[in-house]
Amino acid sequence: MTGLPADGEFREAAPDVARPAGIATAEAPASTGDAGGPGRGTGRPMAARLGPLGWLRWAWRQLTSMRTALILLFLLALASVPGSVLPQEGIDPAAVTQYYQSHPSLAPILNHLSLFSVFAAPWFAAIYLLLFASLAGCVLPRTFRLVGSARQKPPRAPSNLRRLPASASYVTDLAPAAALQKASTLLGGRRFRLSEGDGWVSAEKGYLREVGNLLFHIALLALLISVGLGGIWGYKANRLLIVGQGFANTPTALDVFHPGRLVSPSDLQPFAINLLNFRAEYETSGPELDQPITYDAGLSYTSQPGARTQHYMLKVNHPLVVDSVSVYLIGHGYAPVFKVTDGTGKVRWDGPVPFIPVDQTTLTSEGVIKVPDAEPYQLGFAGVFLPTEVDSGNQLQSAFPAALNPRVSLVAFKGNLGMNSGVPQSVYTLDTKGLSQLPIAARPLAAGQSMKLPDGAGTITYLGYQQWVSLAITYDPGQLPALVSGFTALAGLILSFLVRRRRVFVRAIAAPDGSTEVLVGGLARSDAAGGFETEFAELARQLRAEHDGRQMQATQVGDGTVDETEDPDERERGRLPVPAGSAATVASANADTAPAANPEVLTSREGE
Amino acid sequence: MPPLSVPLRSVIGAAAAAFTVLAAAGCDGGAIGANVPQSAGQSFVSSSYTSTFYAIGHRPVAPAVSGTTLTGKHLSLADYKGDTIVLNFWGSWCDPCRAEAPALGALARQLQSRRVRFVGVDIRDEPDSALAFMQNFNIGYPSLNDPNDEIALEFHSTVPPADIPTTLIIDRSGRIAARIFGASTYGQLKGLVDKVAGLTS
Repeated sequence: MTGLPADGEFREAAPDVARPAGIATAEAPASTGDAGGPGRGTGRPMAARLGPLGWLRWAWRQLTSMRTALILLFLLALASVPGSVLPQEGIDPAAVTQYYQSHPSLAPILNHLSLFSVFAAPWFAAIYLLLFASLAGCVLPRTFRLVGSARQKPPRAPSNLRRLPASASYVTDLAPAAALQKASTLLGGRRFRLSEGDGWVSAEKGYLREVGNLLFHIALLALLISVGLGGIWGYKANRLLIVGQGFANTPTALDVFHPGRLVSPSDLQPFAINLLNFRAEYETSGPELDQPITYDAGLSYTSQPGARTQHYMLKVNHPLVVDSVSVYLIGHGYAPVFKVTDGTGKVRWDGPVPFIPVDQTTLTSEGVIKVPDAEPYQLGFAGVFLPTEVDSGNQLQSAFPAALNPRVSLVAFKGNLGMNSGVPQSVYTLDTKGLSQLPIAARPLAAGQSMKLPDGAGTITYLGYQQWVSLAITYDPGQLPALVSGFTALAGLILSFLVRRRRVFVRAIAAPDGSTEVLVGGLARSDAAGGFETEFAELARQLRAEHDGRQMQATQVGDGTVDETEDPDERERGRLPVPAGSAATVASANADTAPAANPEVLTSREGE
Repeated sequence: MPPLSVPLRSVIGAAAAAFTVLAAAGCDGGAIGANVPQSAGQSFVSSSYTSTFYAIGHRPVAPAVSGTTLTGKHLSLADYKGDTIVLNFWGSWCDPCRAEAPALGALARQLQSRRVRFVGVDIRDEPDSALAFMQNFNIGYPSLNDPNDEIALEFHSTVPPADIPTTLIIDRSGRIAARIFGASTYGQLKGLVDKVAGLTS
């Protein structure tokens, strides 16, 4: 790099997009970012001379460097891993509850580290924000530079075209001005951008590369903003729904509701869903025994009050999309139906009670029934639902997830449920502090069987079961913009890789014998896609034909392409002959002409 | 040396963007409370009281709600036109609703002669359980049965109930004058009702 004093200009357009020129990888806190400025290249830390502003600028440069962005991107990917390995509170709270039961000592620690809500965790936000700052800080200034670069006119032609990576010369009888005129017409006709001067024509092509680059950068920013906007205007919710029941998309009907910052209850799309039926099928044999084959939830829904009722068969990964909101089927379970009669003979509960699976393979589920208005005592029951009960001594055991032999085992309590104090408690847990367990054998009940409670407390009857589904409701207005931005970024990236920016210079010099020597020089900036040599040879041949030239000499120096990222194969192919058919003598480049990194060529724009 | 203003502007821009995203990222913290996630229950049940009073001129018109009560009778809010209506969204399973029920029942009886009507909306409930609740807390006023949230949804574009319990006070011209989230005490509720109904006592 040190051999190229003003490498900044070319490196700016090189495809290592995320690193702003001049920032490079500042290992030591340099007091300025300018090439050749104090502190650069001395290898000594300049900490002693840095003021607070200097440190700030150094930190900013570190943050916006390509390396930091890549590390943050990697961290973001890494941080997302627990989000897909561990159950997530915002996606499937029932699974989290289950995890608590199966890992009672580990779960609180994981919870403390926000591992059950990874995407809302402070450390996840920190990575995301730093990445955003890093990308924005790098991309925004670059975007302005790229706009400038895409609008720039070609620089003046270097004085010695023979020292360019590709060059050719020939002699023509045309006057210099006429020869340049013809060269301009030819190059202009090939959609080169031109700039002309005394005795030279300079042409440049491939600005689409900059457009692609620009597109990529802007799309990248748009992508990040889309994701952020989704978090502000979007929401996530969960709802457990028993077959035969319905709900509307309104906060009081949702079990869990995570609104974005600017979401008010009135922003919720007013659809309503009824669950008509649910069917689950499981493998009955083979190594996949107990594994679910299909889940189908038959829904009827209206997009808003008074709208036409529509039907939908909800399956896993086939969400119902209503009014831009996606409704996913994420879980299911059983809701045994009970009828509770209190000591006074009055029915105090008659309906299904959702139980939560504690074992996914057999769907053994647990739940509680609270009857706070029973007389003379409040009643509470803790139950285990066994879809396919098998006799295994004293153990309660289910052998299969389908309800082939459903039984419910109940433990009864009476006393104070602790519900009247006003402190919200979960409807799935029983606070046994004020309760006393009733002395009654926990014999699993079959449908229709009752359990009479001692002390005249009442009777509970197990009537049968219903099934429930767990629905995840997500609204993310940033989704479509994010998708479009993603594709745009990809398209821009491809464009910037496929199109190469290249310059062709023509100089016409009057020779003493009245003829004119025409020199053609060519230079490709970051010729990653290759093929500039061929294009240049073809151009040189056409120019010579246009000028009716003779004594053609052509030189190709592949090494000279000023591109740090060029792969070695390109260099091997560097020496290309001018296509056969032209009467030119082809001269291979020798070592002397090779140093194309000629300051004069590369810094030509600085004179302007 | 590049002009200093450019990087500074970038910093400010990035900071603004960062705040925007921070606002988004911080939106759903605290889903897990103690050791057991509360998600298994209704996270919208809350015991903290917040009230909002809408000044005259800023009161949204209450929807014309009607439906079937827990005892099977038809009830329409339009029947109470000209009266102040206290509309309470509740459920027998909801602990804060149980805590505020005695105050609601007492106030309803007390204000019966003062043209203040109380109406309940029973949500996510089982009718036998709900009737037992009303009997237990001596609730004399009727409650609409709203198992599918249709009545709650009718308030979607005005003042949606976003908490259980939610209490709305509708003035004599049929406009929503006050909203309470969470359990209210006798004093809190009476103060607001008196203010809306223009009662002095």
